Amino acid sequence: MNFDPIMALSCVPAILGVVATTVEVTLASCLGSCILGFGLEMARRSGVSTGYAARFIIDFVRSTPALAWLYFLYFVLPRFDIVLPPMAVGIVGLSIYFGGYLAEVFKAGIDAIPQGQSEAAKALGLSRIDTMAFVLFPQMLRNVAAPIGNYFISILKATPYLATIAVPEMLGRAFDIASDTYRYAEPLVVAGVLLLLLALAAAQLVRLLERKLAHPSRR
Amino acid sequence: MSFGQLFLGVLGGLQVTATVTAYGLLFAIPFALVFGVTQHLTSGAARIMITAVIEFWRSSAVIILLFVFYYALPVFGIRLSATAVSALVLGLNTGAYGSQAIRAGLQSLDKGQLEAASALGLRRQHSMLLVELPQAVRVMAPTFVNELIQLIKGTALVSLVTLSDMTFQAKQLAEIEYNPVGVYSALLLAYFVVCYPITIFGRWLERHTGGARSLSGEF
Amino acid sequence: MSKAPISEIETGEGNKQSKAIEIAGLDKWYGKFHALKNIELSVATGQRVVLCGPSGSGKSTLVRCVAQLEGFQGGTIRVFGKRLHGLRQDASRGRPFAGMVFQQFNLFPHLTVLGNCTLALRRVLKQPAPTAREIALHHLDKVKVREQAQKFPAQLSGGQQQRVAIARALCLEPRIMLFDEPTSALDPEMVKEVLDVMTDLAKGGMTMVCVTHEPGFARAIADEVVLMDEGRIVEVSPPDVFFAAPKQERTRQFLAKVLQ
Repeated sequence: MNFDPIMALSCVPAILGVVATTVEVTLASCLGSCILGFGLEMARRSGVSTGYAARFIIDFVRSTPALAWLYFLYFVLPRFDIVLPPMAVGIVGLSIYFGGYLAEVFKAGIDAIPQGQSEAAKALGLSRIDTMAFVLFPQMLRNVAAPIGNYFISILKATPYLATIAVPEMLGRAFDIASDTYRYAEPLVVAGVLLLLLALAAAQLVRLLERKLAHPSRR
Repeated sequence: MSFGQLFLGVLGGLQVTATVTAYGLLFAIPFALVFGVTQHLTSGAARIMITAVIEFWRSSAVIILLFVFYYALPVFGIRLSATAVSALVLGLNTGAYGSQAIRAGLQSLDKGQLEAASALGLRRQHSMLLVELPQAVRVMAPTFVNELIQLIKGTALVSLVTLSDMTFQAKQLAEIEYNPVGVYSALLLAYFVVCYPITIFGRWLERHTGGARSLSGEF
Repeated sequence: MSKAPISEIETGEGNKQSKAIEIAGLDKWYGKFHALKNIELSVATGQRVVLCGPSGSGKSTLVRCVAQLEGFQGGTIRVFGKRLHGLRQDASRGRPFAGMVFQQFNLFPHLTVLGNCTLALRRVLKQPAPTAREIALHHLDKVKVREQAQKFPAQLSGGQQQRVAIARALCLEPRIMLFDEPTSALDPEMVKEVLDVMTDLAKGGMTMVCVTHEPGFARAIADEVVLMDEGRIVEVSPPDVFFAAPKQERTRQFLAKVLQ
């Protein structure tokens, strides 16, 4: 048996056909993990007991593999009568997993804001909420944009995990082709190459974003 | 089965997890050192090639790479055990990230060190080995600890290529015991128990080497 | 300014004394380090006080305590008769009694010059946007920075940024202005423009407490010059006494070093 490039090429349309799913999952998980990560970081800052709880959740999530979370949610949620389509389970799983990492990103993004900013806000009489909303949050967004961009790429590369819980994305489609044709190498290579190209393209976008952010705002 | 028994059952896969991790390090450490140093030192066409290799191993989705190597290598006449393939893929992926950490560490060094070394008559290779690398490694130690944890978590994927690691054990148990809540909770707990102490060690290292804050670029 | 939640100072609590700031027995520690030792100081309304001293003497710390940016462990600070309670952690802070100008300007980089000034006007004093704009432009005009209103801080020189910072504080019409080394981070050519603004402010009768290394400013504007060293007040004298015939030996030493 040898590698058949023609056969490989014939897999491309089929696998490309589910790129939308891959991108959807990535975007939704990115949003989900931002929300979870930000929430965790706010919880960590807001009080002693919530702080410890949040810290523990973050550490726990970061010490466990994404695959384990996907299995956990996929098999456990139905036991609690929560029935979600596999793609939703996958998105929740990736959101939890990457939420733990993004919490650190938000922490770094807030810590990077000079102390003087909140002091100036305090000196002007701004309430804690107003300081957070109008002074710190906008600056934090600037600081976290690039790291979140990088995690976007990581999430993209994690979408194939969802094949293990029956989500129709690129790796799953490759295995479908393989089980139909009994040829594994070609569809898998195609899926790998396509995903690699996607990841490299996304990396370029992130680099563009970084460059734009490096320039001070000019209106 | 009680939760405790489930937990021990899952831990039954710990040996495979550890083995793949250890073999993975055999690939990761040399790759990181060699490619990190050469990327730092070279320029032009050589650097582009080195970067390409690093980027390939860094930007590819590990799970797809694992499947591709597992299924495609035999097609090209290369027969490797599942353990070897897993160690190779996971190790080189981790090594690629490690190479970036080494490069960052080398770049962050005070140029004065290099000048002092050459003033003392040390040739570039010797100064690299004796002066720069040890310092770079010290500075980036927390990052390397993170990479180790990533590697350990990455071994969960080998359950998909028939190796009996902890995740594989969990899936087996889940089918036999019909208690997904217990089994998959035990799985998460098992990884936590393995990885969290290493995280603590990494934090201790950070505090005591006064080194760089760990750069997290990947999950 | 009638819609503003007026800070506690103004409600008439405490005596209507003429003392703007009264500090008695103030003690502050940073952990084990005794930063302020039994400080006694009074500032009358309309008075201009300059604090100077070697670094680490506690002068910035003192001003920050009055601005409620730092807490303190012992003694009292009264502003217009009302006691300050260390750090204000309340959710809604209300109109501050003192404006604060920082060495590092601390302008909000993501807002325009105008935005920097109107933020507190809208959020703290609850001014509607058009009124806030008017007030802000008025104060920006007084510090001669009005043309830069639509620019961002990063596009301004250091001197312009500091003048914006002063205007930003003045927009809230505080009764006291506190300055923490306002010109120390500026290139020499820009120091004068900021000092001119502060001089105008002083001529207008503002109560000012200023930490500075600029002896010329102290001589011209201050009613009293205070020397601090190692957390204590060494001497409090009017500028002509302070600079020409200081009462304390420590002051003489300080002047000799600084005025080289």
